[in-house]
Amino acid sequence: MTRTPLRPLARILEARQKGENPDAIERENIRLRHEDMRDRARSRAEGRLLVLALFFFCAFAVVGGRMGLMAATEPAEPRAATSTSRIVAQRADIVDRQGRILATNLRTHSLYAQPPHMVDPERAARELVGIFPDLDENRLIKDFTGSRKFLWIKKKLSPEQQQLVHDIGEPGLLFGPREMRLYPNGKLAAHILGGYGFGLESVYAAEVIGTAGVEKAFDDFLRDPAEQGRPLELSIDLTVQAAVERVLYGGMRLMNAKGAAAVLMDAHSGEIVAMASLPDFDPNDRPVPLTEGDQADSPLFNRAVQGVYELGSTFKILTAAQAMELRLVNAFTEIDTNAPLVWGKYKIREWGNHNYGPRLSVMDVVVKSSNVGTANIAMMIGQKRQREFFTELGLFDPTPVELVEAPGAKPLIPKRWSEIVTITTSYGHGMSASPLHLATAYASVLNGGTRVMPTLLKRQAVTPGERVVSEEVSTIARNMLRQVVTRGTATFGEVPGYLVAGKTGTAEKPKPGGGYYNEKVITTFASVFPADDPKYVLVVTLDEPVETSGSKPRRTAGWTAVPVAAEVIRRTAPLLGLRPAIEPGAKDG
Amino acid sequence: MSYLEYNIKHVPTGASKILHMNWALTLLLIAVAGIGFVMLYSVAGGSLSPWAEPQMKRFAVGMVMMFTVAMVPIWFWRNVAGLAYGLSILLLVLVEIIGVEGMGAQRWIDLGFMRLQPSELTKIALVMLLAAYYDWLDIGKASRPFWVLVPVLLIVLPTLLVLRQPDLGTSILLVTGGGLMMFLAGVHWAYFGAVVAAGAGMVAAVFQSRGTGWQLLKDYQYLRIDTFLRPETDPLGSGYHITQSKIALGSGGWTGRGFMQGTQSRLNFLPEKHTDFIFTTLAEEFGFLGAISLLGLYALIVFFCVISAVANKDRFGSLLTLGVAATFFLFFAVNMSMVMGLAPVVGVPLPLVSYGGSAMLVLLLAFGLAQSAHVHRPRGRS
Repeated sequence: MTRTPLRPLARILEARQKGENPDAIERENIRLRHEDMRDRARSRAEGRLLVLALFFFCAFAVVGGRMGLMAATEPAEPRAATSTSRIVAQRADIVDRQGRILATNLRTHSLYAQPPHMVDPERAARELVGIFPDLDENRLIKDFTGSRKFLWIKKKLSPEQQQLVHDIGEPGLLFGPREMRLYPNGKLAAHILGGYGFGLESVYAAEVIGTAGVEKAFDDFLRDPAEQGRPLELSIDLTVQAAVERVLYGGMRLMNAKGAAAVLMDAHSGEIVAMASLPDFDPNDRPVPLTEGDQADSPLFNRAVQGVYELGSTFKILTAAQAMELRLVNAFTEIDTNAPLVWGKYKIREWGNHNYGPRLSVMDVVVKSSNVGTANIAMMIGQKRQREFFTELGLFDPTPVELVEAPGAKPLIPKRWSEIVTITTSYGHGMSASPLHLATAYASVLNGGTRVMPTLLKRQAVTPGERVVSEEVSTIARNMLRQVVTRGTATFGEVPGYLVAGKTGTAEKPKPGGGYYNEKVITTFASVFPADDPKYVLVVTLDEPVETSGSKPRRTAGWTAVPVAAEVIRRTAPLLGLRPAIEPGAKDG
Repeated sequence: MSYLEYNIKHVPTGASKILHMNWALTLLLIAVAGIGFVMLYSVAGGSLSPWAEPQMKRFAVGMVMMFTVAMVPIWFWRNVAGLAYGLSILLLVLVEIIGVEGMGAQRWIDLGFMRLQPSELTKIALVMLLAAYYDWLDIGKASRPFWVLVPVLLIVLPTLLVLRQPDLGTSILLVTGGGLMMFLAGVHWAYFGAVVAAGAGMVAAVFQSRGTGWQLLKDYQYLRIDTFLRPETDPLGSGYHITQSKIALGSGGWTGRGFMQGTQSRLNFLPEKHTDFIFTTLAEEFGFLGAISLLGLYALIVFFCVISAVANKDRFGSLLTLGVAATFFLFFAVNMSMVMGLAPVVGVPLPLVSYGGSAMLVLLLAFGLAQSAHVHRPRGRS
């Protein structure tokens, strides 16, 4: 900064000489200096102003540009969470093979609260607890008076409840329309239907989604708007299902079993006409899965499909049929049944330590249920062919039935298929499969010899599957099973007029650590009826049954599963439209 | 040291001052306030009550105040700047003690006939004091550290008090407004550069530290930032305002749904529809055209203020006018950015349009000061 001296003496003297007032010069100097400083300040300020103007301009441009951008874009309604799919609230019905409703929708209302709009939150909370005793009043008051703007109170309301809530007259309590799934038959076919839950939820609608059973397996179909609400037709017959469940329940109680399962299948088409698993549940109020213990004890567990058990002697007919199909034996070929059969370190014994002697016909091996005889037949067949046959019958894969639970129920098969495995599996030990597996295998072998695929959907036309055994072998096998009922281990299975043919199976339950329980058994009766014209296959399995009418508790299938199965057939055969026949030949034939 | 050299005979006196006011600015203010009345009328569903009528009355009172202030010579205002600042600080402290809680924050003093928001008053008092300070300060000293520290403290003191209330919006306006004043007064670039760099560094550090052991913010604070950046993730919670106002702006399109046809505001989707978020109603009903017109009016107001300030040779008047313009600009820029999702939601009203007494009165008071500076500007000597 250059300073001009205010009073340079020379200038003052000069001014005095000229007769001017030095004060005026002084003032002029001050003025000039001020103007100089002002100009410098201004030039700096102008630079700053320019920057500010630029900043203002940018801000205007950004705000204006944003405005234009927003005006140009279509407004998008916000969606719950970050979901991309729309809520489709309609869901198709599920009907049985006769068109009777198994699952349908009901329009109800949900209840939610908007605390900011509440007039008297405490009274609202008190009255709500009066209507819904399961609500906690203190919790509600906290929610209503807190900072929450929205909360669900009840997902489903009955019309009465809705009226009661409405009568509280609280503007902050609001209803949203909501479809809910209704199973009008309660527990009937619970395991087949499965259950539902709510998926995406909004105030105005909620997505009903299947969580188990066919509801989940056919979720996409049921929700597909393109199907226009076309109902899902199941192969189930509601009346038959009801009869099977009722009889099975009575049988389970009578036999003191802790669980039971039954599969009734059309022997030619594979359609499952009835399938039950006990204990069961009400899909309208589906229980929560067990958090501890064995899931197999949960009522949600579908024993008919998910339960893989050692099905015992019921496998013997499969072994016999394969041996006959391979022409290794015929029904009257005599088999060595000297017991026990020693194989390496293993000893194969008969049930109850019988010894059927050196010669027993194949027919009698099945009728008397000889383990040793079956083992000897299996050794004739050999490992490879046995495995191929079991694979063909679908015993090594999960059943292809349309339940979401089915793919998880893989049969338990020994890793190494050794000779001893061949022997034990021939009479149903050492590998586990579900009752549905067994029903499918029985249907394939005994319906005339064509493979069936189990299904829960109603079939329009039946096309026979590939052949597994010849017509002739199938007939002989049925004849053998018929004799099991007339003179073998399943004499309680006789139902006059319906020619029941079947095979019993009793297997000790494996201990979790290895080995077997002596007192805990799974008993199975797998049957086909009528024997001369096979129409239906029925498998009944009881879990830990004890029949206590005699002096000693009896646990074999002949005493437990067979009478229950017979009762099922007695009740359902007329419902299935089967005409009772006069039995050809003598009773002891 | 002041460069004020009022030459009284060149400055209008008496009633003729009214003729020398900045009439373009006055008319623009009336136009913007008029838009506000129309919007408040519409938001109330075609009714003068409860918002439009009181707003009109307040505007009338505010205009009278503006004219009164404009008539008072500018040097008077310069001399009372320190007093005004002290008074506003006193009121801010008072509001801590006897203030009324409104909307979860302590902001008002109930005077009986009106509720006074001292933080509003503070904005204008700060601008006055800073203008007076830089008028008094030798320009050569403006960039010396000590003389920079003084205004910084003058800004920080009310900011902290306002932040305690808590009122984030006003604090931001105070800091930014004060900073702009210092910038215009010619404080060296390096100071602002340092502040900007430090701010950027802080932001970077905050984001970099996320998820590491030395995380600077709490998790929920990060969540709020996330919600601001992507409001659609929480449309019913903290993203609600933004999502709904975006819908309103989008559904307005280019020409809007028409007067009184807005659904977002009418159907109560929008909270604060008559105060901070009134812009969405405008945008929905009058579309892009309406919104850009309002923006244009605001721009013109700022423009006329800047023109007046440039033409004013009085440093105090010039700085004061610029400060008023900057404060006004910050008001609507922050509000519009917030409504359009460019900035987080901080409670800043749309100046002259949003319903609210204190803000409008204080703004008109501020424009009164700018008018006074305009009326009493030094004219060329003859």
